[in-house]
Amino acid sequence: MTPVAPRTQRPGPETGTRPVRPRVSGWRRRDRRWGLVFIGPQLFGMVAFVLLPLVAAMVLAFAETDGLRSFSWVGLTNFGDQLTDPLLWRAVLNTLGIAAITVPIGLSIAMVLATVLNRIRGRTVYLILIFAPGVTSLVAVSMIWQQLLRSNGILSSGIDLVPFLGRPDWLGDPRLVLISVSMVVVWSSLGLNVLLFLAGLQNIPPAVLEAARVDGAGPVRTFLRVIVPLQTPTLFFMTVVSVISSLQTFDIVFILTHEGGPDNASRTIVYHIYDLAFRRFEFGASSAAALLLLVLTLLITLAQFGLQRRLVHYES
Amino acid sequence: MKGSTSYTRRATAVLAAIAVAAVAACSGSSSGPSDGSSKARIVWTTWGSAEDLQRFEDFNDEFMERHPDIEVVLQAVPSYGEYHPKLLAQLISGTAPDVFYLGDDNVGTFVDAGVLTPLDDLMNSSDSKATHDDFFDGLFGAAIEGGVTYGVPTDSNPDVLWYSKTALEAAGITDDPADLAARGEWTVDTFLDMMDALRDADMIGAIFWNYWATHYSWVSAYGGTAYDEQGRFVLADDETSVEALRVLGERFQDGSFRVADTMPEGAGASTSFVSHQAGFFVQGRYTIGTIRQAGEEEQFDIAPWPSVDGEPKPVGVAAAYLAINEATDHPEAAWTFFEEFVSAEGQEFRLSGGGNAVPSILGADDVVLDGYPEHAETFLQLRDNGFANYASEARVPGLSDDISAAMLRHYEGRVDLDETLATIVDLVENADMPDPADLADPEELDEAESTNGEDENDDDPDGEPSP
Repeated sequence: MTPVAPRTQRPGPETGTRPVRPRVSGWRRRDRRWGLVFIGPQLFGMVAFVLLPLVAAMVLAFAETDGLRSFSWVGLTNFGDQLTDPLLWRAVLNTLGIAAITVPIGLSIAMVLATVLNRIRGRTVYLILIFAPGVTSLVAVSMIWQQLLRSNGILSSGIDLVPFLGRPDWLGDPRLVLISVSMVVVWSSLGLNVLLFLAGLQNIPPAVLEAARVDGAGPVRTFLRVIVPLQTPTLFFMTVVSVISSLQTFDIVFILTHEGGPDNASRTIVYHIYDLAFRRFEFGASSAAALLLLVLTLLITLAQFGLQRRLVHYES
Repeated sequence: MKGSTSYTRRATAVLAAIAVAAVAACSGSSSGPSDGSSKARIVWTTWGSAEDLQRFEDFNDEFMERHPDIEVVLQAVPSYGEYHPKLLAQLISGTAPDVFYLGDDNVGTFVDAGVLTPLDDLMNSSDSKATHDDFFDGLFGAAIEGGVTYGVPTDSNPDVLWYSKTALEAAGITDDPADLAARGEWTVDTFLDMMDALRDADMIGAIFWNYWATHYSWVSAYGGTAYDEQGRFVLADDETSVEALRVLGERFQDGSFRVADTMPEGAGASTSFVSHQAGFFVQGRYTIGTIRQAGEEEQFDIAPWPSVDGEPKPVGVAAAYLAINEATDHPEAAWTFFEEFVSAEGQEFRLSGGGNAVPSILGADDVVLDGYPEHAETFLQLRDNGFANYASEARVPGLSDDISAAMLRHYEGRVDLDETLATIVDLVENADMPDPADLADPEELDEAESTNGEDENDDDPDGEPSP
């Protein structure tokens, strides 16, 4: 039997020594404090603008309050009301519709563009042009698109010139408005997606591509059988981020359309949350809807992580 | 040790400075004068077009000349849609302005929230420039709760029937609507005959905005009502009102009426009207600006709403209200600004020279009777006999919008009238409507009970709730 040593060594009363800590030199201690100073603002922002609102939403979701004076606990009523509110389900369907349109289309276009840019000279110029919408305020982007998508705007007028097509009302027709919003979402996120794909492409060892070429694979085959599989980690990351971003669509809808219209056809979940809180003064119901969105986002993200094992190829 | 304490202090100081800077950046407080003097600084807010806001800035300048001890700052929000959410956020965070506008579809909610200063004592003080009795009774709407006044109509905008003489003439219509109204012959039937003539001439009959005043004014023109005197929703149970809505819906569906909100840009409501492609456009006094821009002012005039019997009926009057933040740091200065803004002189200043609204106070009507349009007195008649949005409805945030959305589906022919009314009844029943007893002056209620339903004369200024 090997004697078992005590797990902790208490300071001996006879010596009065403190527990032994690894020695930290003066400059390291100073570094640590300056480190705290540097992360302080971020930490403050995180607590003030993320954690506290999250806790507040969790509390308000169980109350009926106009945000000003009235406040009463109502238990799970807000969740029940929201789950039976056709407007919430309309918003969920619209939001999932935007995600279903923008994620596959946006990522496919970005991947093709990145592959093309990876092979041509002067790609920095093209990249800057493509990336410009990504660094432009979404408000500005939405306002520009609002002008383009007006029923007498350049897009509608152009299509009107084609016989039999008629003049589409991109933002006023309930059948078209979700497509219009999705178009703007894809356009505004294209630059970042291309940039990330390009970074991923440049990590592919040239030897692998060369081997494919030697084996007789053409550009299409190389793209489908070599590049895409090697890009699946990037693709997975961007799919997760794009889906979460689509679920949070608000500013584009807020500016582009009139109050989630026409006839709630562009009402998204976040717009629904805003509408409940700031137009109907129902902060409790709004918080409940926000928590339901959180659950939906978590479920979809977990499902994506579940698929990751089967679909994502990590190069060892 | 000394070194580490020094670093800790420095780190704490940096963090504190950042926190203070962040809080200061978020604050819109009005407590201190901007130049460090002892002036009271009043911040007020409203929505409006560039021209409206310029006029308000001019008013501020004039006011500050008269009151060198008060600094007035306007915080404008261009869009009406974003105005109330922003104000709500400011009130929640304790950074709301001292004085603010409220729309007639939102005033009730802010009254109920208890964030507004009761105004009766101030308004009825001996030196007040804006006493309660100076204002037209029908305009207060949801700004009065339980006999207490929390907001005052800054001005008003009764919807009148603007008409294009050119369009009517092109459709072969020889009668002049304003003349018919003057003779007591301006009936719904005559109006609908004109709609037929305009439609036959491939023109739009009349353009309306889709909001509470349109539905309820049309119902009122038939002699119906949406809410009874106790504030109960009776629209769906009243045969006259349902018949009025049936005709209204049919006319939208056959294309002789158009909803301005859904007309495409370029071929929109204003463009269609000023280019004489529409016979009538139902709007407020602000239409003057549009017509002047387009020219041909003499080709347009105004008429009241038609009625089933040719007798004028009460119609909806859009109004905005001014209120004082209960938490203002400068209640006296806020009141001084408030009373001058809503006073007859203040309204004359803001509304003269083709201004965009009609005074809500006695003694300022001259600004409307400035010669245009020819029958400008119609604005005053409709205001005097009009009604603001029903208090029961205006107290529920979003209810008027929801009802209008349901009506729009009916106007567009997507939902029939029965289903529309069922939806509206459902909306009203599910709304958290206030007790009718809370809406009126308790003394008035007692009086009403004692007279056992005897009709009251709404036009009688003496019948106004006394504070």
